[in-house]
Amino acid sequence: MLFEIENLSKSFGDIVALSDVTFQVRAGEVLGLIGPNGAGKTTLFECLAGVLPCDGGKLRANGEEIPGDRRSTILFYVPDQIAPWGAQSLRWALDYATGFFGGRQDLRDELVGELDLGPLLRRPIAALSKGQRKRALLAIGLLTPQPALLIDEPFDGLDLRQTREVAARLRAHAGRGRTLFLSIHQIGDAARFCDRFVLLSNGRVRGEGTVSELASQAASDHPEGTFGSLEEVFLALT
Amino acid sequence: MRSHKPPFLWLLEKEFRDLAVSRSWWILLLSMGPLVGVSFINAVRTYGEVSGFNGTAGAVGEAMSPLIGVWAPTFSACELAAVFLLPFVVIRLVGGDRQNGALKLELQQGMSTVELVLAKVAVALTGWLVVMLPSLTAIPLWKSYGGSVYPPELATLVFGHILNAGLTIALGAAMTSIAEHPATAAILTLAVTIGTWLVDFFAAIQGGWWERAAAYTPAALVAEFQHGLVRLSAVLIATVLIMTGLGVSAIWMRLGTPLLRRTLLSACIVMAAACAVFGCTFVRASWDTSESRSNSFPEADEHALRQIHQPLRIEVHLAPEDPRRVDLERRAFSKLRRTLPDVRISYVSATSIGIFEQTAPGYGEIWYSLRGRKEMSRSTTEEGVLETIYSVAGVGPPKEDEDAVYRGHPLAVRPRGAGAIFFYFWPALIVLSAIFLRRSLP
Repeated sequence: MLFEIENLSKSFGDIVALSDVTFQVRAGEVLGLIGPNGAGKTTLFECLAGVLPCDGGKLRANGEEIPGDRRSTILFYVPDQIAPWGAQSLRWALDYATGFFGGRQDLRDELVGELDLGPLLRRPIAALSKGQRKRALLAIGLLTPQPALLIDEPFDGLDLRQTREVAARLRAHAGRGRTLFLSIHQIGDAARFCDRFVLLSNGRVRGEGTVSELASQAASDHPEGTFGSLEEVFLALT
Repeated sequence: MRSHKPPFLWLLEKEFRDLAVSRSWWILLLSMGPLVGVSFINAVRTYGEVSGFNGTAGAVGEAMSPLIGVWAPTFSACELAAVFLLPFVVIRLVGGDRQNGALKLELQQGMSTVELVLAKVAVALTGWLVVMLPSLTAIPLWKSYGGSVYPPELATLVFGHILNAGLTIALGAAMTSIAEHPATAAILTLAVTIGTWLVDFFAAIQGGWWERAAAYTPAALVAEFQHGLVRLSAVLIATVLIMTGLGVSAIWMRLGTPLLRRTLLSACIVMAAACAVFGCTFVRASWDTSESRSNSFPEADEHALRQIHQPLRIEVHLAPEDPRRVDLERRAFSKLRRTLPDVRISYVSATSIGIFEQTAPGYGEIWYSLRGRKEMSRSTTEEGVLETIYSVAGVGPPKEDEDAVYRGHPLAVRPRGAGAIFFYFWPALIVLSAIFLRRSLP
């Protein structure tokens, strides 16, 4: 296990965004965070990364509590729908991400090739399309050295071919030992790509495990139903 | 293989690149040429006229000081820019990362937000030094006309404008970090600036504590430096305020810290700063760097005044808005406070403007008390005040030293070439630099 979350809670006034969220993240796995819109996926990621204060709860690694300002020792979070350093060229942004976050320089060229960023290197980040920007953000995230990488909607804005290619690249990076924790709203994509899942709905964890483990949980909750796919499990548990 | 360059240097490079692509900074740079040009050309023309140009009386210009006649108006463009334009550059520099999401990434580097703020402030300050270039260009131009330059007073003036910019940068950084949106930050920054003007306004009407507070507003700070006066208390207070602004900015940049904790931390910093500011007001050291010694009594008088070791009490019966009180403060009391170790000046008035008090018995009287002796005078001139003090102290007035009198540097010239430099060359240089720099950044 790389780290575990215990009883994480977060409210915005009267709205409870996260309530006693508890689960584990295992080293080297691809963990999918799935849930309907407004389930609290982004809030959970931001609380984990320490860029949003949580009301309560702990993150533990090797039995030691990691406070919000030290989370960068174990994880890095790539938000969705941001355009960091928008006026700068993608080439410079990748160099900056490598240098500033302490990433490997040799990985930069590899990622440029893998994510097909070569033709975009001279363009300012703000001028990239949604999908291009998403690939740029994935590259920035993959350049960081933390053992766990949290990505909010890694396939949002990508077409089918790109989604499959990016998924394969991410899987390859996971194969090298990087733990990936991905928030995915497309259940089909998540089912194809992730090893395990955390199901989040209304700020609560409704289930955690592999598809078969979640299917068993769904079957015990709803004995009358059949749960062959993640989509059916998702609908049953959320 | 990892980068050998420390993360902070990467951050600095990023901030410099952000500044280089910042339209608000380029617009500020562009506007500085004409702003300085108008100020400098008008100042040189007026200086020339007062010095005897175009048939005016040359004798008027005998005591002309380039500091007051040329440099104060020329650098006043910097004051305008610092109040109305610099905040937008700072807000863009500090708030840009929050707006585009980069701050969420950078906070995960593990670097303290103090370092993040310091990098931005260092770049903003460097940007400001570039903004001051047109004003500094006026110095060799003035020299080329045959004008006199007294480096200590000029250095004081430049330092004052840098300190003033530092205040604006710190204020802008704090407001940008606190506010969610740049427009809110701009409104808050300008609101604080207007607040300092209100302090000046109330000081003029109410006097008392308002007057004491008004001595430390950015406008008062710049005015002192424009006269070549360096008051250590003002420098220390400005430094404390700058550090406070940066501290508050660093606290509010910590997005992962709960709102209540950020508020409490900010309140602690502000309270500590208030205590430090109060303490600084008791620091008396000051230096008159002006060539004309416009903030000091003549040296012989200073020597004579230093022989008075007993506390001097002065009671002035003049209303805050009475022009005589303003004269008295500027021409005599500000100098007296710098010279005498123990002088207490109190103002007594029933109204703020004094018009309806003119006929009241005792209005306009200035009472001097020393060692139980009391004397009254109505004079508001430097000479009148000194004469009364010598009389009440029983000290013989010094002989007037004709050689020590500042004769000034009259110069009757036209501002040749200034228009071409400030209205054409500088804007063209800025436009070309902007195009070149934005295109050449890799």
